[in-house]
Amino acid sequence: MSTTAFFVPRTVEQAIDLKREHGKNLVVLGGGTIVMGLVHDGLLFPKLAMSLARAGMSDVRRRDGWLEIGAATPIARLAALKGATTLERAAGMLGGPALRTLATAGGNLFAKAPYGDMCVPLLAMDAELEIAGAGRRYTVPLEQFLSRRSLKNDELVVSIHVPKAQGRGAYLKLGRRQANTPSVVAVAVQAVLDTNGKCTDVRIALGAAAPQAVRAKKAEAVLIGRRLEDATIKAAAESAQAECNPATDSLASAWYRREMVGVFVHRALDELGRST
Amino acid sequence: MATQLATHIVTFQLNGRPHAVTVAPLTTLRTALREDLHLHATKAGCGQGGCGSCTVLLDNELVLSCLVPVTLVDGRSVTTLEGIGGPGRLHPLQDAFHDHFAAQCGYCTAGMIMAAKWLLDRNPNPTRAEIQMALAGNLCRCTGYVPIIEAIEDAARRMSKGVKR
Repeated sequence: MSTTAFFVPRTVEQAIDLKREHGKNLVVLGGGTIVMGLVHDGLLFPKLAMSLARAGMSDVRRRDGWLEIGAATPIARLAALKGATTLERAAGMLGGPALRTLATAGGNLFAKAPYGDMCVPLLAMDAELEIAGAGRRYTVPLEQFLSRRSLKNDELVVSIHVPKAQGRGAYLKLGRRQANTPSVVAVAVQAVLDTNGKCTDVRIALGAAAPQAVRAKKAEAVLIGRRLEDATIKAAAESAQAECNPATDSLASAWYRREMVGVFVHRALDELGRST
Repeated sequence: MATQLATHIVTFQLNGRPHAVTVAPLTTLRTALREDLHLHATKAGCGQGGCGSCTVLLDNELVLSCLVPVTLVDGRSVTTLEGIGGPGRLHPLQDAFHDHFAAQCGYCTAGMIMAAKWLLDRNPNPTRAEIQMALAGNLCRCTGYVPIIEAIEDAARRMSKGVKR
C-alpha cells in the first residue's frame, strides 16, 4: 500500500478544509520527524498525508506578555529565543541540531511518551493551545488537551500560547545519550517564591513518567506555603515519585524511571532553591 | 487551493546546480539523492533521525534527509558531501579527516563532515565542547569520536589560516 497524495496547503484554511474532507485518513506532518520514522519502520502506511510546513503557521509573536508560537515553528527557533526560560532550555535539549531544524513545536505535542519533551516545560508554564476548525477557533489549556486528546476531524492545533514566566524555572532531562534520544525522564518546574522564600505558586511537570506529560500535583501541594529546604524538597520528590505512572520500554524500566523522577525532581527543586 | 500531489516533479538546487526528480508522495530526500540522483555519500542509516548518517544541508541548515519528504525541498537548495569537495579538490574538513584517521568504516563520515561544516560556517573557531554539541546527533561506532573531533579542530585551524574551502 502506498501513499496516493501528499498535500502541502499554503494557508491554515486550506489545511482545515483538507482535514474536514479526509478526516482521520489524513496523516498530518509538522516536521515529519515522527511520521517519517514510523513510515520507515513499516508501522504507518498513510494513504494520504499533509505537511503543515508551508501553511503560514511558523511565526513566533509576543502579544500582551504572552508568547504565541505557531504550531509549525521549528524547535531550533524556540531554542534560539532569548528569554532564558525553561521553554528555550528544553528546546535546546530536544533531539540534536539536525532534528531541531525539522521537528516542530506543534508536532511534538502529538508525540507519544517517552517522546514529546516540549509538553513538559509547556505544562510547567501553563500554556494554552489555539485550535482551529471549520468556522471556529478556541483555546484550551494544554493539560486538558493532553488528558482528553479530543480534536475533531476538521481541527488543527494552530498555535501554542505561553504566558510570561512567573518566578523561576528549571528544566532537566535524563537521556541515554546526549542527543537524538527520548527521555528516560524530563522534569520542568516553575515556581514563585515570596520575600520570605516561601513558595506561593508552583507547577511541576514530568515527561516520560506517564502515557503523556503530566503535572505532579501532590508534589506541588507539598511545596505550597513552604520554603525550598532539604526536608520539603525531599518530601516533594518522594511525592512525585509515588504519583507518577511510568512505562517500561527499551530505554528504561518503569522502576528506574520512577527512581529517576524522584532524583530529578529533587535536583530541579534544589536548583530553584539556589537560584536568585 | 492546496496542491494535491500524486507522482510529481520536484526541482531544487543540488550542490549549486538545478536538478529535477520525479517522485512518489512521501519519497524522502535521502532516497531521491541516493536512488534517483545516484549520489551515494549521504548514507541510509536508521531511518528514524537517530544516527545522523543521512545529514545534509538544506538552505544551509542541518537536516536529516531520511525525515524530509523531498516534495518540501522544491525550490530550495541542498548541499551534500559531494558538493563541498572531492578527489583532487578536497575540502579542508575532508583533508583533516584523512590526516587524523577520523574514518574507519566510513559510514558516519559524510554526516559528520556535513555537521562539522554547518558548525564551522557559523562558528569558525569552535571550542571542543561546541564541536561535541554540534556532532551530538551523529553516531560513530568505530572511532570513539576523538579523531573526529581532533580533525575538526585541525580543519578549523587550517581554514582560519586561509586554506581554500
